[in-house]
Amino acid sequence: MFFLSLIEHTLRVPPHLLSLPLNKAIMGELEKLFLDKVIANLGLCISVYDIRSIDGGFIFPGDGASTYTVKFRLIMFRPFVGEIITAKLKESDTNGLRLTLGFFYDIYVPAHLMPNPSQSEPDPENKNQVRWMWEFQGEKYPIDGIDEIRFRVHNVNYPSIPIEQPKESRPFAPMVVTGSLDYDGLGPISWWV
Amino acid sequence: MKIRKANAGTLTNFEVLDFLRSRGAATDPTRVIAPMAQSEFKVYDYLVQTAACNQTKESIDEFLKKCKQYDLAKAEILNIINIRPASAVEIDSIIEECEKRMGERVEELVEMVVQVLPPPPNEPKPEEGMDEDKEENPIAEQMEAS
Repeated sequence: MFFLSLIEHTLRVPPHLLSLPLNKAIMGELEKLFLDKVIANLGLCISVYDIRSIDGGFIFPGDGASTYTVKFRLIMFRPFVGEIITAKLKESDTNGLRLTLGFFYDIYVPAHLMPNPSQSEPDPENKNQVRWMWEFQGEKYPIDGIDEIRFRVHNVNYPSIPIEQPKESRPFAPMVVTGSLDYDGLGPISWWV
Repeated sequence: MKIRKANAGTLTNFEVLDFLRSRGAATDPTRVIAPMAQSEFKVYDYLVQTAACNQTKESIDEFLKKCKQYDLAKAEILNIINIRPASAVEIDSIIEECEKRMGERVEELVEMVVQVLPPPPNEPKPEEGMDEDKEENPIAEQMEAS
């Protein structure tokens, strides 16, 4: 689910960082810029792996800071289609499940990708939430939040930034992973062990 | 910003965990002193719960050598290393057309995985018993026998 990306960027290092060794100043600036941000079609940036080269150091006229062209590698989180990931249940409603990995929680399993056949029942404990049950050979297996859920990545979407959003909709998610549970070995781990 | 190479190499969970550990994630209980952002700590928290936390470079190298004979795709090998399946059912979702390509050899592959790669930390499988390492193997054998 992780891979490296080689990026080149022209970076302006502000003057108050002049006392630091160059590597550290540039690392700091890169982390501020890229860490925990989503780059379209590349994924979520987890960390700066290393800096390959630093060029430049020119000071443009009228500017107090020097500009460097840096080549560096980022660790990106981007699950590929068909990858099997273990995640925890965040919430479940009539549209499907939402799963979280701790650092990334825009993973949705829509109702049509649930194991077949399954139905949702209103959860006795929580009024707003719904519990999904899978019927297999006459027995009902619930998907509850107790153990981790294994799912297969069906699709990774990068919706474009909306210009306007209605007031109560969900905060915009730049990267959405759609998962499927419809296969042998997927679903809560306790089902298969 | 220019993307020079969108894919400069895939990383297993173990490699990312190793990188985060080398930056000091494991040794810092306060999480303020290590030069890492909070988001990186969250990734570390997630990885420590998966099978990657017990793996070593040697075990992964050994696994790569041994699985060459099974003719698996790169994505399948990556999935196996990250998930560390301990039974045939789990391998079935990882490998496409498992029955057609492997048939009987699935059991061999599962056994090899269980032997070469160390088990994940918190076992959901054995409920009773204190010794996790001892109980991993008997359960795998039961699964293959049935």
